[in-house]
Amino acid sequence: MSDWWDKQIQRADQLASQANGSKELLTFYAQLLRAQKDIYDYLRSSRDWLPTGALESDLAVLKNALPCFLKVVEKYGPASLAAEARSLSETNDDVLAERLISYWRSGSDIQFFEKAFLQPYLRWLVESGARPTGREISPSERYCPFCGGNPQVSFLQNKETTAESGNRDLICGTCLSSWEFRRVVCANCGEERPSKLGYFHSPKFDHVRIEACDTCRHYIKGVDLTRVGFAAPIVDEIDAAPLDLWAREHGYTKIELNLVGV
Amino acid sequence: MEVSRRTFIKTTLIGGAGVSVFGFSLAPVYAQTQGLKIARTTETRSTCPYCSVSCGVIIHTLGDKAKNTTPQVVHVEGDPDHPINRGTLCPKGASLEQDIVNDRRLLKPQVRRPGSDHWDDISWEDAVSEIARWTKKTRDEAFVEKDKDGYTVNRLETIGWIGGCTDTNELNFLAVKTMRSLGVCYFETQARV
Repeated sequence: MSDWWDKQIQRADQLASQANGSKELLTFYAQLLRAQKDIYDYLRSSRDWLPTGALESDLAVLKNALPCFLKVVEKYGPASLAAEARSLSETNDDVLAERLISYWRSGSDIQFFEKAFLQPYLRWLVESGARPTGREISPSERYCPFCGGNPQVSFLQNKETTAESGNRDLICGTCLSSWEFRRVVCANCGEERPSKLGYFHSPKFDHVRIEACDTCRHYIKGVDLTRVGFAAPIVDEIDAAPLDLWAREHGYTKIELNLVGV
Repeated sequence: MEVSRRTFIKTTLIGGAGVSVFGFSLAPVYAQTQGLKIARTTETRSTCPYCSVSCGVIIHTLGDKAKNTTPQVVHVEGDPDHPINRGTLCPKGASLEQDIVNDRRLLKPQVRRPGSDHWDDISWEDAVSEIARWTKKTRDEAFVEKDKDGYTVNRLETIGWIGGCTDTNELNFLAVKTMRSLGVCYFETQARV
């Protein structure tokens, strides 16, 4: 739904106006979200077309949204992304299609353009009821049950009306949908021993914390919506980028990088 | 040359004030990182000890695992993944933190002697010996082998046993074996977990 994108954009604008160290990241991300929303709206409004879930065939419609998307990245992105966007806008369609399909089959979070461009498409797939095909979907609970992607961020939210504590969900870094995940478990390796799971918190980011595992040395950030109900996990996660640097300094690796590469 | 994700991330963050994987300057982010006060907590799943409903709880303990620090419980909440309470707690369970972090919490066994007006500290060794002595004395005096009609009953009605809801299967197994072998009739394990 467009409302969902509007909420993310609004939150990114709000945090960018208040942010300290993450201002540049949030300013770019707000523009990126607008470009992603445009792709999403374009796909939704395409007449007589519904996605099939097979990227190869859906690309015929999807590729029309690419030029505008590249222009936004070129205009607002850092020098390296802007240069790559320029280069991609001059690349022929077949090469671009090959890159997107390659990401679709076995993507990585360091492939910015593919990941950012396909997120709105995948989100539309989630909502339209089509299943993605040609992707490996692991039965493991730690991967997105819809598209098989890695978790980007976790969040706590009350699901039981009389409960004060929050249930934990993970948000997929690839399709942005969420799925339930147990609280005291590593989202990367499944470690359950409390002594191996560390939760790092700073009063500066009261509703965001690092959920780290000493067994696999990976971490994910968690956003507590029981504390700040109007937070948008994928945006607040970027605002709390200083926590990422702290985690890396202490030897932890993020499960899935976000779209600003942190 | 194929560059792995790990190598790629590492090379973009050298000396803290590098750039992000996608080229954003992280100097201002790094500057903010330096001022952060970060504390480590641990979350441990457990069972509320109050009643036999046996609600699941998560205990938050503050401490960075350093040898010269003592971990401290800072929060207790209902376990949202627990099938019994699904994150909810009664008012008593919700105050568990005050039960754990409490100056008046008993940390060692005590005994109140007949006629005394106060409790005395006692070592675990003495407490176990004394319980054994009183159990034997009570059983020797009150054990009923046959009832008034001559039927064999082998029962002991002057000792009772009440378990706690956090007792494990193993503890309850031993409690049943021990109490039944003594002939104890009045027996409740609270075995609901």
